[in-house]
Amino acid sequence: MNDVVMFASVLLILIGMTAAIFNRDPFDKLISLSVLIAGVFPFIVERGFLDVAIATALIAPLSTIFTLMVCRRVQV
Amino acid sequence: MIAIYVCAGIAVYAAIRVIAERNTMRKLPFLNVVSFAVTGIIALLLPHPITIAAAAAYFVGSTLESNAIASTWAGGIKKP
Repeated sequence: MNDVVMFASVLLILIGMTAAIFNRDPFDKLISLSVLIAGVFPFIVERGFLDVAIATALIAPLSTIFTLMVCRRVQV
Repeated sequence: MIAIYVCAGIAVYAAIRVIAERNTMRKLPFLNVVSFAVTGIIALLLPHPITIAAAAAYFVGSTLESNAIASTWAGGIKKP
């Protein structure tokens, strides 16, 4: 029943992984990593780990923000 | 049951548009579309009352992430 949705999530993970490997710009890499994390969430929810899903949804953007502090542009 | 299939199709299509786009600024709206579609998938996937809390948390987190990437890429306020 949910096989189509899970297959779509696998496609999302593979697309994000491929784009994160082959992109050169760090912002493009972060965008691809965000697509990859979006593909992981239906697998967490499908098994019923809703508290884990809530915690991951609130912690994963923090890691992205900490990575953004490294690759920000220098003010001229 | 057709709604979750539509959400999955929109997510895959927007992810393909994200990697097909060359300009970084044009990637960010499609990243938001991926986030909305995955929020719909999370809300419709499991018949449980806490699912809506997980969907709301993911919606808030992904929107915060996209806006952080966009504002850092734009470079902030230009000093005159």
